[in-house]
Amino acid sequence: MFEGPTMKLLRSFVLMCALAPAAALALDGKAILEKVDRNLEPENYEMTRKLINEEPDGKRKEFILYSVKKGRDKVAALFLQPASDKGRSTLRQGDNMWLYIPNVGKPVRITSLQSVTGGVFNNADILRVDYTEEYEVTAATEQGDTYLLDLKAKTGNVAYDRLKLTVDKRTVLPTVIEAYAASGLLVKTLRFKDIKDFGGGVRRPATVETDSPLYKGYKSVMLYAAVKKREVPDEVFTLNFMSRLDELRK
Amino acid sequence: MKLGSLGRGLGAALLAVALGASPSMTRAADYNFDLAEIEAKPYEVSGFVEVKAEHFRLHPGASLFPLTFSSQAARETLDRGTASFELAGKFKRDVLIAYARASGSAARDAYAANSTGTLLEGGLRISPAEGLSFDLGKQVQRWGKGYAWSPVAFFERPKDANDPQTSREGFVMASADWVRSRPGPLAAVGFTPLLLPVSSDLNRDYGATGHVNAGAKLYLLYEDTDIDLLWAAKGSRPQRVGIDFSRNLGTQLEVHGEWARAIGATRRVLGSDGLPSSERANLDSWLLGARYITEGEVTWLAELYRNGAGFDAAQLQVFYRQLDRAFGPAGSAAMQAQAVSLAQSGYGRTNPGQRYAYLRLSAKDPFDWLYFNPALTAIANLDDRSWQLTPELVYTGWQNVELRTRAVLLHGAALSEFGEKAAARRLEVSLRVYF
Repeated sequence: MFEGPTMKLLRSFVLMCALAPAAALALDGKAILEKVDRNLEPENYEMTRKLINEEPDGKRKEFILYSVKKGRDKVAALFLQPASDKGRSTLRQGDNMWLYIPNVGKPVRITSLQSVTGGVFNNADILRVDYTEEYEVTAATEQGDTYLLDLKAKTGNVAYDRLKLTVDKRTVLPTVIEAYAASGLLVKTLRFKDIKDFGGGVRRPATVETDSPLYKGYKSVMLYAAVKKREVPDEVFTLNFMSRLDELRK
Repeated sequence: MKLGSLGRGLGAALLAVALGASPSMTRAADYNFDLAEIEAKPYEVSGFVEVKAEHFRLHPGASLFPLTFSSQAARETLDRGTASFELAGKFKRDVLIAYARASGSAARDAYAANSTGTLLEGGLRISPAEGLSFDLGKQVQRWGKGYAWSPVAFFERPKDANDPQTSREGFVMASADWVRSRPGPLAAVGFTPLLLPVSSDLNRDYGATGHVNAGAKLYLLYEDTDIDLLWAAKGSRPQRVGIDFSRNLGTQLEVHGEWARAIGATRRVLGSDGLPSSERANLDSWLLGARYITEGEVTWLAELYRNGAGFDAAQLQVFYRQLDRAFGPAGSAAMQAQAVSLAQSGYGRTNPGQRYAYLRLSAKDPFDWLYFNPALTAIANLDDRSWQLTPELVYTGWQNVELRTRAVLLHGAALSEFGEKAAARRLEVSLRVYF
């Protein structure tokens, strides 16, 4: 069968027409991720959380943290409970992280893979900055009522090399996040539950449950009790202020 | 299973079914968080109580034995019980904060029973802004980036490398702290000036009396590296300058270092003839360290330390021989007094040597044992090749309770640092309850 130039042109036109709607409807993963970031937390906020580490036999250890965040990559957290950890504070500025232990030492640099609480949560989970700050969206697809986003760390300084986000289309909030190491190993799974209105336009999951194949049978839970917009001076996110973080609490 | 517990289990299951609750719902309902638990108050009180039992394998033939246990009769073993506490309080009103921290302990062993009480820190702070504060009172400054040692810690009592995280007593001083955060590669600048007076009534153990010692620290966060430039003016001690840095290299590695120079410092050194003399020189000290966390969450902490004011192996040998003579059958009260004076001038420090290596391996929750943290610490005197090994196990699984057990094992030839300590081994168990 021979194909003339007109026929070729016609076929190309038909193909372009067929693909055009798909291209127009291609998901803007970055925009979705930015929306997820803002829906989870205001850019500048203060919040109070409880972290619960639960062992397979049901035994628990609980921590209460007060945290403040400013911009996309500055966050500080202060331990309010238990008494053994009270006054400890952690600070993050981009890839830099520090831990201050009162009356014992000066702020020391820590890495994102360490854990100041033990259990499944590590420092990167506790001092989380915007996803868009640390990750590029490599793929965005739809599946029923959800968006599926594949994220890749922008640098080697990020705790997890890849993330897979399942995002509810209606609320544009994550329901499940799977975190993978560079080797492809699934490190942990975060499940977001119990959407709650915190006031001031903040409506987000109040419970984040985490488990890890590396800690079989163990579970860590983060409960959000107060999340509200607040802008504090930049100086709050410095080593000098780590010992005075409690002065922010009202 | 006993019938009673079987019955209770069945009863609970029936009750759950009757209430229409699934196990997961019951569990979800278990998580609760009441903000009233952590309401901000103008005052705060916290602290801990601790009981500790120690068993020492003594080394009565060691040169340092008579200095450690003075004129006590020689023993092969010693058991000691210690009860201690630390209490901290804080009161806040507007920009004014009053704070204090005190510790106390009572110990008893076959040689002695004693008790101590110390105000570790206490004073007033005015914080007119987040980037500015003024402190007056007894304070613990914490300069430097080193874990086991800090050559740039110009205004502090020295750390104990055996237990670097132990609370230390501060000095009475006036200080200010200013910090400014900024955009660009220089992300933060901080400045901490201080004044530390020394008189017969105040800070007497800092150095020569009749001086108001000035010092300052300039902090920079430049290109993701913490840098401090430090200075202490000549006064009760010689003038000192120093620099330190700390930086993360990736998610698993941190590196740090310190360098300090004491300008025109004087130190007493025993000559090979056993006679003490004073040396005046610029003394350089430095430390290089790294902390590496593996994917299996084992943390390696390594430090190399050179103490410019320390003594080399030959100098320490002369001192230990001097001690043996002074406290031996031919020793005299005058010789013993001179030995004590030399110990106080530097030879008696916990680590009096010149070059050290420190290595600590600690694992977080190994083998799925949550809250068990085993660690192994080695400290070696690189000049005389003596060393100390400390295996340790800490359990923190009970809320506000820390159970710690460790052994301290010393090894060294005769006339070496760790070979001449008063105790060759120590086993320690402690229980600390926080409130």
